[in-house]
Amino acid sequence: MCYYWDYSTGQTTDPRFVAALIDVIREQTKPDVNISVVEADASAMKCKHAFRLLGYEKLAQDYNVNLVNLSEDQSTSIEVTAGGQNFHLKVPRVIQEADLKINVTKIKYSLANIKITCALKNVFGCNPYPKKYKYHPRLDETIVALNKAMKFDLHLIDGIIVSGIQPRKLGLIMASTDPVAIDVAATRIAGENPNRIRYIQLAEKEGLGNTSFIPKGVPLDYFKKRYPRKTIQKKLMGKAYNLAIQMRFGKRLGLE
Amino acid sequence: MKRIGLGIIGLGYIGKVHLRHSLKLANANLVAVSDLSKRALRNARESGVKKTHSDYEQLLKDPEIDAVIIALPTHLHLQCAKKAAEEKKHIFLEKPIARNVTEAQEIISAAKKNSVKLMIGYPLRFNPTFRNVKDKIRSGTLGDVEIAHAVNIGSGPFFHREQDYAPTPVPEWWFNKELTGGGVLVDLGSHMVNLLRWYFGEIIDIKSHLGYRFNFDFEDSATCLARFESGTLGVISLGWFSHVTNVQVELFGTVQHANTQHRAPNPLLTAAQMLTMGRSKFFEPHLTELQHFVNCITQDLSPFSTGRDGLKDLEAISSAYKNQIQLAEKSSDI
Repeated sequence: MCYYWDYSTGQTTDPRFVAALIDVIREQTKPDVNISVVEADASAMKCKHAFRLLGYEKLAQDYNVNLVNLSEDQSTSIEVTAGGQNFHLKVPRVIQEADLKINVTKIKYSLANIKITCALKNVFGCNPYPKKYKYHPRLDETIVALNKAMKFDLHLIDGIIVSGIQPRKLGLIMASTDPVAIDVAATRIAGENPNRIRYIQLAEKEGLGNTSFIPKGVPLDYFKKRYPRKTIQKKLMGKAYNLAIQMRFGKRLGLE
Repeated sequence: MKRIGLGIIGLGYIGKVHLRHSLKLANANLVAVSDLSKRALRNARESGVKKTHSDYEQLLKDPEIDAVIIALPTHLHLQCAKKAAEEKKHIFLEKPIARNVTEAQEIISAAKKNSVKLMIGYPLRFNPTFRNVKDKIRSGTLGDVEIAHAVNIGSGPFFHREQDYAPTPVPEWWFNKELTGGGVLVDLGSHMVNLLRWYFGEIIDIKSHLGYRFNFDFEDSATCLARFESGTLGVISLGWFSHVTNVQVELFGTVQHANTQHRAPNPLLTAAQMLTMGRSKFFEPHLTELQHFVNCITQDLSPFSTGRDGLKDLEAISSAYKNQIQLAEKSSDI
């Protein structure tokens, strides 16, 4: 969910998308199957507010599903390596014990360093530790480590509204059991080069999936042409912001 | 001329803006600041502030301080303003004056009893574009203003610089109606009610429709219909729901129309201004209002926006909460 912006901004998953998914799961399994919708607190967002603000409390009431704040759930500590770095991570009990794990994500531009947020990055949000900025200096490795610690069975992209330079109704839904493949497809749609996105490359090296795949359905180019791509000015502003923070100009710019 | 010793209590979003401006005021020295955040106090020291306190009562005891800028959460206004008045400090208090009319009256009484000046922070009154509109009304060039649209829509406490940048945490008190006194109607509404009162006189009748897009027990959008003493009908639209900030007034007179807007500035321009001048032009009216506050003390003048203004605004907002119009609810398909 990342912040208190609702589905109309393209930043967060539309609860109606999740509602439709719940319907499908119940149709395909049994009507009273136990379903949990999960998210963890983040540096600038608390689940208790986000669940309500973004419409998930209402979803939980109407569809009789559990809302779980992973930061408050029991968890198990595990050690994982990614990119030659060691990580001590916590895996929430509800994820560990689930029979079927579905990662529902958006496509959006991210902080300039990692460029794009999709399936692999979405799992970063399942880290129960709230102050996630702690991981930003080695974000690529952390994303891969978390995906190694928490493997999802299915990855779904809610691209009905996507977030580019501005939100746009794209009408896109993508699904894959391979988080690397779906991220490569999403990256191409967003006009970025997946070969230059380090965590995608690292994820493939670490065996999380393949960058080569054969897409099915509507050709990716159809969506790529319509994706609200970043302008050069916007890209430069993102880089300038990161540079300002790195050079400790944040306070002088009124950002701290 | 005597230089005024200033103290700032609260270094949140607007407190930091006041901190930058306080270092640039004529006839005033920023003596001390107070906040619970160690990081905010460290940043203030690095900016050149010599005294920093985690307890504002220590700041209030400082004899070098003549006046304080109170930029605390709304629920702390009453307690802090009363203590400041008792310590004979002149008070610049951020809007809204308080959570409710009763608290506002107590603050005004405390200031009066201790003979200290009380100014409420309403920067739109110090914004040249909105002052030009006031000049047009005063000079009669618009004729009689029959309808006035006032808009203040942005992201409110759900502040987000730009979608590229890191989100900013929302202080917990913003989610508690008991601490804020209400939602967008009291937060942004106080700006627009104050501005229209300045333009058209007191509000004699007001009704509101409140919106709850974000499912909280406080409103995140509000539309008010208000009749002013001048006869003008005001339509005030307020929102916390938008990425884009827009503060706008549109007046429809019998002779001419007037339209003025205060948009969020270009981030690159703001960055250049911050690096070269140490402040953003966007916040220029905040600097002007602080200088006005200092001038009121040094020249013994009455502030342009007094405690009474804050009270009248809150009375109107309180009436708007009481006189709600109900419309058909939005359909929801979840």
